[in-house]
Amino acid sequence: MSRFVITTTMALGLALGAAGSAQAADAKQVFDFYCAQCHGVNGDGKGVNVTKDFATDPRNFTNGADMAKRSDEDIKGVIKDGGPSISKSPLMPPWGATLTAAEVDGLLAYIRKFAK
Amino acid sequence: MRFLAVTVSLGAALLVMAAAPSYAAGGDAIFKKSCTGCHYTDGPAKEKTIADQLAKKGPELWYAGSKFKKDWLVAWLQNPKPIRPMKYNSLTDSNKGDHPKQSAGDAAATADFLMGLTSPEVKAGVITPKSSPQAKAIFGKKMPCGGCHEYGKKGDVRGGKSGPSLVGASKRLNPDWVNAYLANIKVFKPVRDMPDFSSALGQKELESVAAYIATFE
Repeated sequence: MSRFVITTTMALGLALGAAGSAQAADAKQVFDFYCAQCHGVNGDGKGVNVTKDFATDPRNFTNGADMAKRSDEDIKGVIKDGGPSISKSPLMPPWGATLTAAEVDGLLAYIRKFAK
Repeated sequence: MRFLAVTVSLGAALLVMAAAPSYAAGGDAIFKKSCTGCHYTDGPAKEKTIADQLAKKGPELWYAGSKFKKDWLVAWLQNPKPIRPMKYNSLTDSNKGDHPKQSAGDAAATADFLMGLTSPEVKAGVITPKSSPQAKAIFGKKMPCGGCHEYGKKGDVRGGKSGPSLVGASKRLNPDWVNAYLANIKVFKPVRDMPDFSSALGQKELESVAAYIATFE
């Protein structure tokens, strides 16, 4: 019986682990597709759109001290409603009509990892 | 009886001809031979996931006749200068400007074929090119299009590089398509790296932006 429990637990753990990594891969894909054009694939705020004409510095997600000041709700709000929703630049556009709630949650977790 | 059969056959043939898209003979064959490796023309949009979009080598053209201006298309197919600063679907590689060139005859036939591919989403005669303070404020500040799109005149081009350039948009794009695209972007591109602005801006605001872009030299 105990062997059955251990085996089942291990199988469940493996399945959950696989689901977790799939979710992480999805968040990277979503980030690279939508966010990296301004925030950079490495999250450092150096995307291809950031030319000398770009009127603001896109958030550098690798700056731990700065990111610690941003609440999860603020980050999700900015993704959905754009920069002006927290008095930041309109160059951060609203993605609420494009991304699902699950994609926004995934992005939040992915963005947080850049500073760790 | 024979007369009836001939009449019916002729009628059927005429119906088929009337239903077929109106493009010059040969344009579809040229396209199938040379262009389908990178572009698809059988709409509606097929992309459902990011992976679907990233698998494409070039833009979809199933609504090309609604999107482009024919004179521009004929000239561009013969001298295809980059529209996008970056390679399609890439944020790291520049556009090398290596789109194949066509002869004048092939370009005219291909353009005829592409101009027959239209979308009922695009209503004709809605947008008249016009610059306005409202549109300038939206384009420049409220929802800054220049964050991702180049704009301006030759010698003073500015803006981001991830999207297609808007320099010369007045010659390239049908303003009614720009309006329809802004109002209902998901119909044309269900998966794209441009936000859906239709819920952030009103219809009149979107129309003013389309009219403003239609003035870009």
